[in-house]
Amino acid sequence: MVSRVYIEAEIRDHPRAQQLLKRLHKLPVIEIEHFGEVFNPRAQNFRLQKKDPAIIIAAKNQGHVLAAPEGYGLGGDRNYYFSHMLNCIYDCRYCFLQGMYQSAHQLLFVNYEDFGAQIKHIASRHQGQQVWFYSGYDCDSLANEPMTGFTDYFIPLIASVDNAWLELRTKSTQVRSMLKQQPVSRVVTAFSFSDHFSHSKLEHGVPAIARRIDAMRRLLDAGWAVGLRFDPVVYHQHYQTAFVQLLNDIFSEIDPQKLHSVSLGSFRLTRDHFRKVSRLYPEEPLFAQNLDLNNGIVSYPLEREREMIEFCETQLMKHIPQQSYHPCEWHG
Amino acid sequence: MLIWVCALHCEAKPVIDFYRLKKSHDDNAFDLYRGDNMACIISGIGKLASAAASAWIAARYEDAPSIAWINLGIAGAASCELGSIFALNQVTDADTGQRYYPAPGADSVLPGYACLTLGQPSEDYRENQLYDMEASGFMHSTLRFSSAELTQSIKIVSDNQQHKTGKDRPRISALIHRHIELIDQQANSLLALNQEIATLEIPAECWQQLTAMAHFSQTQKNRLRVLWRYLMNRDLSTEQLFGKIGSCASSKAIIEALEQLSYRESEGL
Ligand code: SF4
Repeated sequence: MVSRVYIEAEIRDHPRAQQLLKRLHKLPVIEIEHFGEVFNPRAQNFRLQKKDPAIIIAAKNQGHVLAAPEGYGLGGDRNYYFSHMLNCIYDCRYCFLQGMYQSAHQLLFVNYEDFGAQIKHIASRHQGQQVWFYSGYDCDSLANEPMTGFTDYFIPLIASVDNAWLELRTKSTQVRSMLKQQPVSRVVTAFSFSDHFSHSKLEHGVPAIARRIDAMRRLLDAGWAVGLRFDPVVYHQHYQTAFVQLLNDIFSEIDPQKLHSVSLGSFRLTRDHFRKVSRLYPEEPLFAQNLDLNNGIVSYPLEREREMIEFCETQLMKHIPQQSYHPCEWHG
Repeated sequence: MLIWVCALHCEAKPVIDFYRLKKSHDDNAFDLYRGDNMACIISGIGKLASAAASAWIAARYEDAPSIAWINLGIAGAASCELGSIFALNQVTDADTGQRYYPAPGADSVLPGYACLTLGQPSEDYRENQLYDMEASGFMHSTLRFSSAELTQSIKIVSDNQQHKTGKDRPRISALIHRHIELIDQQANSLLALNQEIATLEIPAECWQQLTAMAHFSQTQKNRLRVLWRYLMNRDLSTEQLFGKIGSCASSKAIIEALEQLSYRESEGL
């Protein structure tokens, strides 16, 4: 349950901030100078905060759009990411955001125009090249859509820039605002799935798999490009049968030939994130499994990982055309 | 463990009486009252005194797996009614400009309010702010030992532009006592949160017993702590866990045995 709203005094009159305040009018509002005052201090407990997070309404003043990390992307010429929001309304136990930020508060940036200007500028610097902009790196792109109106602003923006591509990554079912718009072929909505068992154990607050498959189908039917992300695949005793079941559930509803892209990767976290997250949730079996540290990344021992990926790829290839598959290459 | 920090005895009295806290005679730096999983310290007036008392008591309870804090006291206000009660959601130190954000949960039964902590008494009240002399010192100190979610400051308005309670101690106690049920509710929510964190930690005696079983290097101790914290939160009692490693002859063997157990336990997520 959201407990309160912090708002930067300077942004209070911004129309998007005003809309948010109207929507959140039942909550106490606390004025702050800069979001860092509440988002960055060390003396915060992410786990406790996640129960009653606050919403922070702020403006981002620099670093609106950043180069994507090595290995991130779907093979575009240039890859960038941006975050109109930090943190997420869901609570997936494997999520790196738990290790990334001190705070579990949901930080919403309202100055979309500054993000938009930066996106246009970057795209214009790479004329003739395919420039991808990934949203959903530091948040779920669509989960807060009714509040943020993210797609209402960014989809028309991307449509207006010929060489720009946008990936929205989500575990939500919030596709209503997209369904009201004309499909844009350069906007791909990527839905992430874990098998039913992992979902029930690890993806707290995330909508049921069947509802997400339905949201995906509705977007496809309306002519939108849709992708599938099986990332992270999590090890458990029955992961093989569970993965096969998940594929059957998805492909009984979705025509694999219509998918824009499919990717797959196993559970992994950087060492620092792993350390922080496993301290927050010491009782969590996911972190107590047999894991190894390789090049600063904590993940399954190589042999187990190879076995998992091989199995999942083999099953996946029974459904999808090879060319839509993009494995997550994080070993370098 | 919940620690109350009050500047004056008359502010602490309603809490001392309600929880039947007993005066501790071992301590002389500050007046201290103790009870079951709870203590109340009388800091004296001012932010420095509040910071010092909080640090002192935190050191006394360093073995507590987690500490929750409530600063309880009176405040001045321009327009709030006498006797109204608030859980602070913003504390500003008037001298340094430093701001702190205590974080009462969504289930808080008390309305939030901002407070300015002054170095000297003043009656120059501004709207939309309470005035006190301790909250910033309390926050500055306690945030070194606990997170903002476990740190609250509850203020009862004793003075406004029309009425002054001043140093009328029985009247101050009465103003606070009026709200003791609400204060208790707030304290119980905070204790429940604190308990959630405390149960994740290995009890001090158990850790001593464990590390006395063999010689562990620092790296091994870190690993041991991770494994034990996981396993003690599964369906295994401490006795059962000690039983599993009873026959291990070395630190390495203990860690290996716990790792195998941990891997088995976690396969089903
Ligand atoms: S939906 Fe994505 S961003 Fe949100 S908690 Fe889960 S993994 Fe993290």
